[in-house]
Amino acid sequence: MSLRRHGGLAAWILIVIVLGGILGREAAAAEKRLLFDQLGRRLEVPAEPRRVVALAESVTEIVFAVGRGDRLVGTTRFADHPPEALRIPRVGTYIQLDIERIAALRPDLCIGTRDGNPRAAVERLEALGIPVYVTHPMGLASMIASVREIGGLLGAVAKAEEVAGDLERRIARVAAHARAQGRRPRVFFQIGVDPVVSAGRGTFLHELIEAAGGENAAGEAEGYPQYGPEHLLRLAPEVVVITTMTQGADFEAVRRSWQRFPRIPAVRDGRVHVVDAAVFNRPAPRLVDGLEQLARLVHPEIAAP
Amino acid sequence: MKAPLPVVRILRVKAILLPLLAAAILAGLSWGSGGGGPEALFRALVGLPVDDPVLADIFWKIRLPRVLLAALTGAVLALGGLVFQALLRNPLAEPYILGISGGAAIGAILGILAGLPRYPWGSLASFAGALGTVGLLVLFASWKTALGKDALLLSGVMINAFCGAVILFLISVTSDVRLFNILSWLMGDLSLAAMEQVALLAAVTAACATGLFFLSHGMNLLLLGPDAARSLGVPLEALRWALLILTSLMVGVSVSLCGLLGFVGLVMPHLLRLLFGPDHRVLVPACVLAGASYMILCDLLARVLPRQGEMPVGVVTALIGAPAFIVLLRRAAR
Repeated sequence: MSLRRHGGLAAWILIVIVLGGILGREAAAAEKRLLFDQLGRRLEVPAEPRRVVALAESVTEIVFAVGRGDRLVGTTRFADHPPEALRIPRVGTYIQLDIERIAALRPDLCIGTRDGNPRAAVERLEALGIPVYVTHPMGLASMIASVREIGGLLGAVAKAEEVAGDLERRIARVAAHARAQGRRPRVFFQIGVDPVVSAGRGTFLHELIEAAGGENAAGEAEGYPQYGPEHLLRLAPEVVVITTMTQGADFEAVRRSWQRFPRIPAVRDGRVHVVDAAVFNRPAPRLVDGLEQLARLVHPEIAAP
Repeated sequence: MKAPLPVVRILRVKAILLPLLAAAILAGLSWGSGGGGPEALFRALVGLPVDDPVLADIFWKIRLPRVLLAALTGAVLALGGLVFQALLRNPLAEPYILGISGGAAIGAILGILAGLPRYPWGSLASFAGALGTVGLLVLFASWKTALGKDALLLSGVMINAFCGAVILFLISVTSDVRLFNILSWLMGDLSLAAMEQVALLAAVTAACATGLFFLSHGMNLLLLGPDAARSLGVPLEALRWALLILTSLMVGVSVSLCGLLGFVGLVMPHLLRLLFGPDHRVLVPACVLAGASYMILCDLLARVLPRQGEMPVGVVTALIGAPAFIVLLRRAAR
């Protein structure tokens, strides 16, 4: 009798455990969060996304920085940092996304960027029931905000906070050094080789030059202005920084081409530098490496920060 | 005076080209970067379970709108070429020759520069551009100039050249990612097709193609020359305006949705004329079916050929179309 009763009780407990397990798992699988992305669009994302596709190289770098690179099942063609990113399947370029391939990867979340991802592509993904979180980094501060946002999305709040705090401290240190100098040399940042293209107001690079303690020689223009030789002589920059953004160009030749104008202060003083574009052209944590590098070029007289 | 409708020949053309179109649609649905293949498509079509549930979404929500949009655009452009070749009595005429493409491109580029979403506002801007050039054309062609019969053609060519200059100017003052959006539109791109666009283009195409079929006997008479046509009692001016407006309308909508896809309007009508003879009552349905099949297959190549990503379908139509046209010229000359 007691055995039977206990047997019945045991059976009940077993049923409750099994049912609880099933229901619990379903609840976890169905658990969603409502939130706003950086464009203020409302979307529903899984509480714990497992299969993430990064729709831009910068997003890939941020996901790895917050320690969630293992959740990435797809990334864009030129994602090469950190080296582990090279092993992730590709889904086209950030401007021309391969919607079919993204859908075939069955992501539970895509993270994109406003600057580049076509709006129509984002809408197509959402029509397929894939939530797309869109970041909108416009400068150092909003890049760091993206780090915190992506950390929050992927359940890595503590790590993201650590990374973001570290970036903020490094930026503050550069800013303090720059303030201590007082003088702001005129910096010409060359991103295009033929024709010569620089970065004016409203760009990342403009903010970087200012934060590094320089004055942007192209600062009277907006966006990405082109310059002819006459205009360069008039600008008379004190520092010239050439990034290797144009693929396949001979950068030593570009540097030498500046030697045609010995009257330009930067040429006279030997301050024409070639830098690696990788740390300058993506709104990701490495941008702060670029900032420090730029600060050393703009103010070589100070000890490297 | 109206000759009886060549029903048997029309049915024969349909019997040849309808299976071709069906095969092209199935092929277009089968392959792509997201996987699939004919076997999975067959299972999905007859309702059998498919190994990968995502494939159903890929077949019906991504590839189907794309295949249908390609089919409609191909039909419109082939038909447009046929009409303009008859209307201008010039074998080199194609839907873009009168500046419709140029005007549409200016509208589309201004829309992209203003940051408008491509559908519906970008398409509307581009359609407005196409209508604008047609309006200019009508105005110029109505002036009684010494140029006579070639006035329409010459003013169209000049409008197109001017639009080309404006496009180059707009590109030269753009330097960010929008430049890529512009180029991708100019090269013709079907990768973001959605069902609303398909429905719109389907409605316009059905209406215009039906209208053109009723005018197809008139197109036959146009080829005899204006004097002969007039002596046969054709209301020449009315027929010309009807052809111009119907064709511009459907080409304008197609260009605004898909961008510029060259050479289809040149190659298809010439090829079909070689195969089925010069009767427009046969050629109108033939252009619709063959143009649709051709564009679906070009889009399939654009998706499948590159090892990574895709190329714009306009690149494929031009790469195939230009050499094919030369071959056709040689055969026609023989």
